[in-house]
Order: sequence, then C-alpha cells, then structure tokens
Amino acid sequence: MAEASSKRVLVVDDASLVRLYYRDALERAGYQVDEALNGLEALEKLHAAPADLLIVDVNMPQMDGFTFLKVLRRQALPVAAIPALVISTEAGAQDREAARQAGGNFYLVKPVSQETLVEYAAMFCGAAP
Amino acid sequence: MTVRLADGGVVELVGHCPSEDAETLLAELIARPDARVDWRACESAHTAVIQVLIAANVTPAGPPADGFLANRVEPLLNRR
Amino acid sequence: MNEFVEQFLIECRELIEQATDDLLTLEGRPDDAERLDGAFRAFHTLKGAAGIVDFDAMGRALHAAEEVLSSLRAGAEPVTPELISDCLTCLDQVVQWLDAMQADGEIPAGADAAAEAVIQRFRRAGPAAVATPRAPAAWRDALIARHPEAAAAIVLRYAPGPDAFLRGQDPLALLAGVPDLRVLEIEDGPAWPPLEALDPFACRLVFLALAGCSAEQARAALGAAPGEVEILALGAAAPEAASGLSATARAVIEAQLLLLENAEAEGLAGRMGSAGGAVANILRWAGRPAAAAGVERALAQSQAAGGPQSLSVAVGRVLAGEAIEDAAPAGPQPAERTPAEAAARTLRVDVERIDALVNLTGELLVAKNALGHAVSQAQGRLDTAALAALLKDQHAVLHRLVDDLQRSVLSIRVLQMRQVFQRFPRLVREMVVTLGKPAHLVTEGDETEADKTIVESLFEPLLHVLRNALDHGVESPAARAAAGKPPAATITLRARRLNDNVIVEVEDDGAGVDLARVRAVAAQRGVASPEALAAMSDPEVVDLVFAAGFSTATQVTSLSGRGVGMDAVRAAAERLGGRVTMESRAGAGATVRFILPFAVLMSRILTVEAGGQLFGIPLEAVLETVRVARGDIKPVGASRAFVLRHRTVPVIDLGQTLGARPDPAATDEANIVVVSAGGHLGGLEVDRLGARLDVMLKPMEGLLSGLAGIAGTTLLGDGRVLLVLDLQELLG
Repeated sequence: MAEASSKRVLVVDDASLVRLYYRDALERAGYQVDEALNGLEALEKLHAAPADLLIVDVNMPQMDGFTFLKVLRRQALPVAAIPALVISTEAGAQDREAARQAGGNFYLVKPVSQETLVEYAAMFCGAAP
Repeated sequence: MTVRLADGGVVELVGHCPSEDAETLLAELIARPDARVDWRACESAHTAVIQVLIAANVTPAGPPADGFLANRVEPLLNRR
Repeated sequence: MNEFVEQFLIECRELIEQATDDLLTLEGRPDDAERLDGAFRAFHTLKGAAGIVDFDAMGRALHAAEEVLSSLRAGAEPVTPELISDCLTCLDQVVQWLDAMQADGEIPAGADAAAEAVIQRFRRAGPAAVATPRAPAAWRDALIARHPEAAAAIVLRYAPGPDAFLRGQDPLALLAGVPDLRVLEIEDGPAWPPLEALDPFACRLVFLALAGCSAEQARAALGAAPGEVEILALGAAAPEAASGLSATARAVIEAQLLLLENAEAEGLAGRMGSAGGAVANILRWAGRPAAAAGVERALAQSQAAGGPQSLSVAVGRVLAGEAIEDAAPAGPQPAERTPAEAAARTLRVDVERIDALVNLTGELLVAKNALGHAVSQAQGRLDTAALAALLKDQHAVLHRLVDDLQRSVLSIRVLQMRQVFQRFPRLVREMVVTLGKPAHLVTEGDETEADKTIVESLFEPLLHVLRNALDHGVESPAARAAAGKPPAATITLRARRLNDNVIVEVEDDGAGVDLARVRAVAAQRGVASPEALAAMSDPEVVDLVFAAGFSTATQVTSLSGRGVGMDAVRAAAERLGGRVTMESRAGAGATVRFILPFAVLMSRILTVEAGGQLFGIPLEAVLETVRVARGDIKPVGASRAFVLRHRTVPVIDLGQTLGARPDPAATDEANIVVVSAGGHLGGLEVDRLGARLDVMLKPMEGLLSGLAGIAGTTLLGDGRVLLVLDLQELLG
C-alpha cells in the first residue's frame, strides 16, 4: 500500500479559494500539492514534473478543463495516463458526458467537501484509506 | 371513459386513467372553471392527468382508491 | 475569521470588479465575445466560491445570472441593457453580502429571501432564463431539511423532459417502483400557464424524492426513465456489492469502463493508461493487490494490442466480483469492439465448456469416493495401518481439492438475486393497484448470489408468496388504521447467504396467519383429521398453509385465487433442493422463508439398502430415521401406516416397490426413513442405513430413464451404480 506522502497531486483551478481549500485538505492528508491556474500552465508543470493525480476544474481562462484533458491524453506516456478527477459546478448529465469524452476519469459536482476529496485522492493514488 | 361529468357539475375520475384522459380532463376544466373534481374511485392515474390537476390548482375530493395516489400523489396537489 | 472566509472575501471582490468591468464594456459593445466570456467565467467562479463556504443562497443567485450569460454566449438571445442591468443587480447583492460577512464572518441572515428576489428578476427576463434549475446542493439540502424525519438513504431529482408522455412514459409509475419511497415532491418551477395554453402532453414536472433504498436500486427502478435522473447517496453506508468494493469505489471503477468505451484513436493510450492505472490503484486502496496486478497485466496487453478489450474484460470481472488472474487471453486483441461488449459485466462462457467442467468435477468426485473405499479396505488389514493413515490423509486433501474445484466451477453459474428481485417492484405496484391495499416493497440483499438455476427458478414462487402476502396477509387500510399501523404496508423481500444455503424471505407487516381459520379450513377440506389438528402446535398449523389443496381464501380474489396454492410454492422449493417455512406473528405479520442450497449440482444423499439393492435418498428430504415395531405398522386400506407424534405416516417398502427381491431375514423392528417431499410425508422401510455422501447426480439416460421413482444415478467408489430416489414421484 503506497503512502500518501510519496504521491503528488496537481490542482488545476483558476479560483485561488478553491486551490487553497483543496491544498489544505490534501496536505493534511500527506500529499504533495502543486497548483496550476489553467490547462496550459498545468501542461507545462506536468512536463517538468509528472503527477499521480490531477484535480481539474472545467471553466478556466486560456485553456479550459476539457481542452486540457483532450490535449493531455494525446501526450506521450506516462504523462498521458495520469488519472484526472474533474470537479465542476455543473451537475447536468451532458457535462459528465463531456468530461468523459474529453478523457476525465471521474466527475464530481461542486461543492466537494474536504473529506470527500481526500477519499477520492486516496482511491486514485492507491493510498491507505 | 374514465373522466366523466356527474350530476352537479362534478368531474369524476374513475378507475384507471390513461394519459389520454389528461386532454379530456383539461377540456372539462377549461369549460367549467368552477368544476369540482372527485377522484375517490380513481385506481390509477397517468402522470399527465396529475399534471393537469396541478396546473389547474384543484383539490379533488378524495382520497383516491389507490394507495400510491392517496399517500404520495394527493399531497402534491393544491400546493400553490 | 477563518482562513477560507478571508480568502473568499478577497477573491470575490476581485471577481466582482472583473465581472462589473466586463458587463459595463459589454453594454456598449454587445458583440464583444471576449468580454462576455470573461463575465460568464467570473460569475461561474463566484458561484464555485460560494459553494466552498457553504453559502447556498449566493450560489443560487449567481447560478440564475450564469444561466442567462450562458444563453447569451450560445446566441440564444441578444445582449440587452435590461439583462446587463439584472446581472449588475445580482453583483450588487453579492457585494452587500460580502460586506456583512466582512463584519462578522458569518453568512448573512435573510440571504435566502434576497437571493429569491434576484432569481425572480431572471425568471421574468426571457424564455431562455426560464429554465433555472436550482444549484444541486440547494435542492438536495432544502429537500432533506424539509423532511428530517425521512432519514433517507438517497435523494433523487428526476426531470422526465417535455416529451416523456409522448414517449409512452409514466414518470409517477416509475417513481412508484422506487423501493421504500419516503418523500415525493414536485420541484417549484416557472408559473403554470393559463389552462387554455397548457399542452396536456408536454411534461413540465420535475420530481424530488427521498427513499430508503440504495442508489443502485433507485436507478434500477428508474432505469428506463427518459430525461435526467440525479441520484445522490446520503451518508449512510451503501451495502457492499458482490465485488466486495464500496459503492463509491464501484462507481469510480464503472466510470473507467465507460471511459474505455470512448475509444476513438485519439489519445487512446492515455485513456487506457489512466483508466487502468486508476482501477489498479483503487484495488490497492481496497486492499486487493493481486487483483490490481491482474488489471495492470491486462492494461499492458491492451497497450501492446492498441485496443482496450483486455482491459475492459478485466475491469468488468473486477466489478462482477470475479478473479482476474486469467482475465486477459494471450495474443493481440482486435482494437475494434462494440460499446455493448465493453459494458458487459458478465463473462460469457460457452455452455459446453461448463458442461465439460461439470463432468470433470463429477469424475473427481468418483475418485474421491474410490479413495474413501480404499481407505476402508486398507484399514481392515493390520499390516497396512500405516498405508491406511496415508490414504486417509490423501483422501482429506482430495476432499478439499474437489470442494475448491466445485466451488469455482459453480461460481461460473452464479447470479445475483438482483436478477429476480428487480422484477418485483413494478409487479407489486400493479398488485397494489388491483387490490387497493397500499403497500411498498423493500428489497434487501439484492447482491446475494446463488446458482443460476435457483435464481431463475425463484421468480414464480416469490411472485406467488408476494401475492399471498398482499392478498391475505395485509389488512385493509381501515383495519390497519384500527390496529394503529401506518396505512401503507411494508413487504420486505430479503436474501442472504448462510453457509451453504441461500435464505430468501418475504416478510409482511400484516395481520399474520389466522390460525382459527386455518384449522377450520383444514378440517373442512380433510387436510388433517380433527384429532391431528387438535394435537398440533401453532407453528404446525401455520405449516398447513403449504398442504396440498389448501387455501385460506374465503373468496377467490383476482390475484391469489388462480388455482395454485402455497403447496405449489413448497413443491418448487423442494424441486430446487430447498425448503420453505412460514412464521406468523399474530397481528404483526408473517414471514415466508426459503432455505435453498447455494448450488444445485451437488446432492447430499443418505445411502440405504433395501431388497439387497443400494439406494440413495436426497438428504434434504430426510426428516429422521426411526425404528418401529412391526406390530405398530397397521394396514390402512391397501397400504400400511404408523403413527409418529400424532401424524399418520404411510409406509413404503422400498425393496418391494422398486422390484428388488424381498429380504428374507425379517426382523421384529422395521428401519424407517421418514421423508417429506412435495408436501407429502412418507416412511421408507429399508433393511439397512448406509453412509452420507456428497454426490453429483446424473440424470437418467437410455433404458433407465423410464424407471419410475428414480431421479438419477451416481457412481460409487467401488464401481457400483447408486440409484437416487425421486421422492416426489414415490410419495405422490
């Protein structure tokens, strides 16, 4: 069973409040957390240092979450295969479907509590629950 | 015919009311805006029929003959 | 002030400034798409921020504005000064709230009313703004708050869509099928048009509901529903599925399977890698490293083959609760496959392959019995005692191997009870309509597994028991009210695994069995003699319900009075190698309990010797073995019988009946095996009792198939063929 402390999560969200909220939860659970403000910045960061999990917002300036995921999945392995948890304010079925089409691994609707976020991070990283 | 006009201008829903009854019921309610509705003999009603009752904001004389209608659907009526 | 509120205030003020700037520019240049995008994003981010600090009212107000901006962006309506002004008003309201929060760090009181006023502005703003679904958290939380007493397991929102009626759907009927529905509401929507303008066939209703069932059960009930169904599980832990994974983990794994379905060439390697990696990690997280490694092997094969099939199969097996060590066949996989294949959770296995395995298991069983025979031979000779010990050990090992092999073989044939349970909510709903007795059906243990034959054969008997419960067990609404019970009865359909058995129960909270009436009817119809009835305990009287030709109905109702009684239910249970009993609680209800074997292929038999011939008797039919003095066996008409605890048991001389030569050495006492089958009690007179054996029953073939009273054969360790009796035929 992998330790959470060896796992790196990249939070991609343009809202600083959201990033702070997620970072706070994940760091307390022992993850290393990095942040990107949009998809473009996330791609740059991933090529410098890959992550074990992406937490991705949908509506972001410069490059939105769906475009980011489509581009990500076209990259070379292992970057292309990083699992992505999409967290959006949109609750409709068509939004879930769009996330899946783009290559998102799971879709959660905001607000996501800190406990929920940590549970999903543990699942996707194979860490102890 | 499961929507019928009884004495005294009461519109009765009787037995199993399929979706087509929605149109009949609606026509009755348009023709007699003050009509009372009685669904004590109603054993089932399609959602379309229920929607007409809601849109017309009527409280039918009840309870209806069916448990689901009585327990779950009747409380949905006349809420506005 | 807490860190988040502080950050929230800073961020919101920035966003409001940006949004205001964008909106004002937009007013002068309505075609400026970039500004429109900017405003939309700012509102969207503000809404997200409101969610983080649990400020629902603010989220709702912003959502209404965001919807309008979204339809402007889509070109569905033009940018007008009025709409810009409404958006600015919304921002003004948010600023007021922020100021209040800055002062005391709390979400301002009265925000709900203020938010409603903002939402109303957008409601009358235009057609595109009319459909304003409330923010998800808002409808969910408000619904739960309105019904704290419901203590529901799930909350659901069901928007059938305008064409639902035209597509032949009846949304309320579907909702009636949701097990343990506790609250049903209609969501407040736009005002209803005057009746003259109402289209009766356009569905405008959106339903909200709370229920006590699992999200999976609700989804199954609404499975065919058009439109949009959202089901959210609430806190309460969902029962673990067959795969042994939590509902959350299952949901995530299922999503990976769907992700693999979208297998356009672009980014396929990345999709497969992320999906396979995610499933493997979830399995590690769930403490299943071996399964995780299996998924990773399948992923490697899929990557090599350039197609997701191996991986899909492996993930499907994880969900079905199967081992995946051998999930992925060797060799390249075709990249093309239909979505249906990827979605299939069950592995298709050729019937012939199963039959071959079944036969192999049968042969192994023979080998085991042969070894047991060898042990008994060897033990008879002193000088081979050591050999005997060794053989005995070997026998034990073989015993275990055979059991393991058989279990894995049978697992191929295993189905979940869900397969049969899911058919009942609709049927019970129909019965409720027909009988006019309100009742709801609760199912438990849907994930319980049993042999395919058992699961598939249970539908008819369960349907009958459910009908019986509703028809005879459940009181009229008036009687229930008088007894202080809720008007709607609860019927629980429950399955669980107990060692080698599967227990299926139908429990109702009706009046219980009317014992006096059962006695009266039994006497009247000659089911039992008055003396026997007088001596019977209450449970024995309840059991008479299962007697052939018995029915407690005083009038033939449209449901239960179709000529098949509970005796047919008992016969069906016995055909499956099980039993069925009924337990009555006066005034509080009744429970019908099926105790069924987990697997049907294995039979436990008692061997007996009669007329120099060896027979097998299915052990589940054997009630007891007794020694009866020959003088106590009295002629009754053309046959003979003896009395066992007030009940008359007809005696069948097995040797004579089956045409074997009679045993010359008649003793003073007769060995009688008391058996029950098909609702009949009988005593089989035998010469000698033998051992209990586990055997694989083979159906009779060729010449023997015409032989009456024989269910099948099995090969014994010493090579003799054992005839296993068909008791229903013998006693019937």
